[in-house]
Amino acid sequence: MPIVQFTPFSSLVQPAFWHALTDFKIDVLRLSDDSVTIHGSYATGRSVKDRESGAEIALGCNLSVGGESFSKTDRAPAHSAQVTGVFKNYNTIEEFKAADKTALFAQVTDEIWKSITVDHSTAQLNRFLLITFADLKKYKYYYWFAFPAFVAKPAWEIQGDWRAASDEFNDSFLSAIEATQLASPRAFFLVRPKTGSDEPEIAPVEEYTQFFANVAPEQRTIAFLDPSATPSNPGWPLRNLLTYLHTLHPAPSYRILCWRDSERPNGAPFKSRFGVVSQGAGEVAVQTEKPTAVGWEKNVQGKLGPRVADLAPMMDPTRLADQAV
Amino acid sequence: MHAIQQQYWAVRDYLSPVLKESKFKEHGRINPEEFVAAGDFLTYKFPVWSWEKGDASKARDYLPADKQYLLTRGVPCLRRATALAYTDADEDAERLLSFGDLSATGNEADEWVETHAGRVSTVDSAANAGNIDEIPDVDEPSADDVADQVGRMSLQGGAGAVGEIPDMDEIPDMEEEDLEAGDDEATAAPKVAVPSSGVIEAGEVEVAKGNLLQVRTYDVMITYDKYYQTPRIWLIGYDENRTPLTPSQIFQDVSADHAFKTVTIEAFPHSASLQAASVHPCKHASVMKKVIERMNQGVLEEQRKAFGAGAVSPTTGKDKQKKWLFRRTSGTGKDVPTSPAGEEDIEGMRVDFYLVVFLKFIASIVPTIEVDSTTAF
Repeated sequence: MPIVQFTPFSSLVQPAFWHALTDFKIDVLRLSDDSVTIHGSYATGRSVKDRESGAEIALGCNLSVGGESFSKTDRAPAHSAQVTGVFKNYNTIEEFKAADKTALFAQVTDEIWKSITVDHSTAQLNRFLLITFADLKKYKYYYWFAFPAFVAKPAWEIQGDWRAASDEFNDSFLSAIEATQLASPRAFFLVRPKTGSDEPEIAPVEEYTQFFANVAPEQRTIAFLDPSATPSNPGWPLRNLLTYLHTLHPAPSYRILCWRDSERPNGAPFKSRFGVVSQGAGEVAVQTEKPTAVGWEKNVQGKLGPRVADLAPMMDPTRLADQAV
Repeated sequence: MHAIQQQYWAVRDYLSPVLKESKFKEHGRINPEEFVAAGDFLTYKFPVWSWEKGDASKARDYLPADKQYLLTRGVPCLRRATALAYTDADEDAERLLSFGDLSATGNEADEWVETHAGRVSTVDSAANAGNIDEIPDVDEPSADDVADQVGRMSLQGGAGAVGEIPDMDEIPDMEEEDLEAGDDEATAAPKVAVPSSGVIEAGEVEVAKGNLLQVRTYDVMITYDKYYQTPRIWLIGYDENRTPLTPSQIFQDVSADHAFKTVTIEAFPHSASLQAASVHPCKHASVMKKVIERMNQGVLEEQRKAFGAGAVSPTTGKDKQKKWLFRRTSGTGKDVPTSPAGEEDIEGMRVDFYLVVFLKFIASIVPTIEVDSTTAF
């Protein structure tokens, strides 16, 4: 059986975030380099039909931070899931380079692991890390994201292949899920058919035991808001969700619904995917130790390294005056 | 100079009175209430659009606090408008667009010509990107000077051709390949053959052949411009690595007739410091007036017919498919999906549709940015 390959998160930093960071650095942080809590969000994966070649082009698997990321009351934009992250800004490029990234990363994975084993909560599964150095005079921002995900050993495998969700569920079933997701989007949720009818019932993953108590394994479905749009690669959030399920609710296999429909026009087919994943052959011991984790974002060259956002063309008054007519 | 001009605009905007009565059919302008009504309709019909509050200190008091401007994020832009250079061979690809029902207006002159229909871009955009300075700037007396500046800009900004690799000195030398032990087998590898990180599904081979695609995305905002009394469009772009686009890169996505003339970089009115590309609204009202006039005739005719038939009462008009949208009368032969019109009396086109029509007009200025979600699906 093929190994499940997950589409990693890609960071999408709106320019408004850098403006907010500039203000935050000058007014609040000043010379402090303490960790700060910020918010980001991700939405369902989108794909667009190329009018010329007719091909379906999948857009990135993005986790975005914006102008409101620093505010404490930030709410996620419509149809997306909010995530909490750790933000750390360094005062000099030397400090930024010398940062103990392994320790910072371990701290975040500790928190995620604790939220799974102690709190039994899914709220922190997508916790992320962002370290920055802001060269305010040159409007240059160096940054490096990490989206920690636990590594499963042995790796998760998919039975058969990922297939369209409409192969597994009928359209009215999916429409009912869509309606609930549109009303209040959940990052992770459980689905079961209502006894004696064709309607789905939905519950938070935290209620796994009660919700699935009298449900046959082949009717238990675990769904998540999937930021990936590639047909055979589920998005990054599934990795930690599987760790969560495997740790707290061990089962031979899980039926996974990758929820990708948020802007479906009337009558269009559903884009969500469905698959059954299991963890290799043989008995797998329940994890008690914190597994290793990966997730530093690669830079434009595909290497593990920081990225740089140069906003001078859009922020520097002299450069702006140059192109104004 | 630019700063003074912006101050002047801010003052002019402050002093100009808020339009009170409805004028949209007479000269294509709308008042704030109508902007809100049209925006509500747009967000209802197309949930990719949403209302935003913006910076509280920049809120306009003639608009509701939570409905200051409209926003949609991640609008795809697959190709550069500069790669769509028009040649004689393209004339075959032209097709006519008509407003409303052709038989209603009975006037073929009402049709618009849509060029580039179904055209495959032959210019290798990867090689061609960054050549913004080839746009002749005939209006400018010191054209050489401007071209010079533009050339410098694209050099400094890093041309899209080299994948937006910043100056090598600028990248802190801190690649740490040993940060993570080995390659993680469960991580989906980025498709190396394709320069864009936009992973392609079905047509992977086809697209990989020409390296045609550099998928950019745009955040698009619509604000209400009090002075011109029209909506105004704003663009913030990202390249395929999600790096913010420089002004010269944004102009690659603007049709050559409009770059540097009607599209400029301005301070976004609902933020303290954000700059965004904007289509200047000075001609919006007159264009909108023409479009609305033509569509209105079609809608009126349709409504009269509905009443004349007698059998159809206004309330059952709902299940009737109104043809108020543009229809493609030739070419692919597939009709643009029409939307069911609400219950209407004989009043012609309702102002709710204003922004939907407006987006179609904007789509002609930025042809490759798929702002017009009303036909994209």
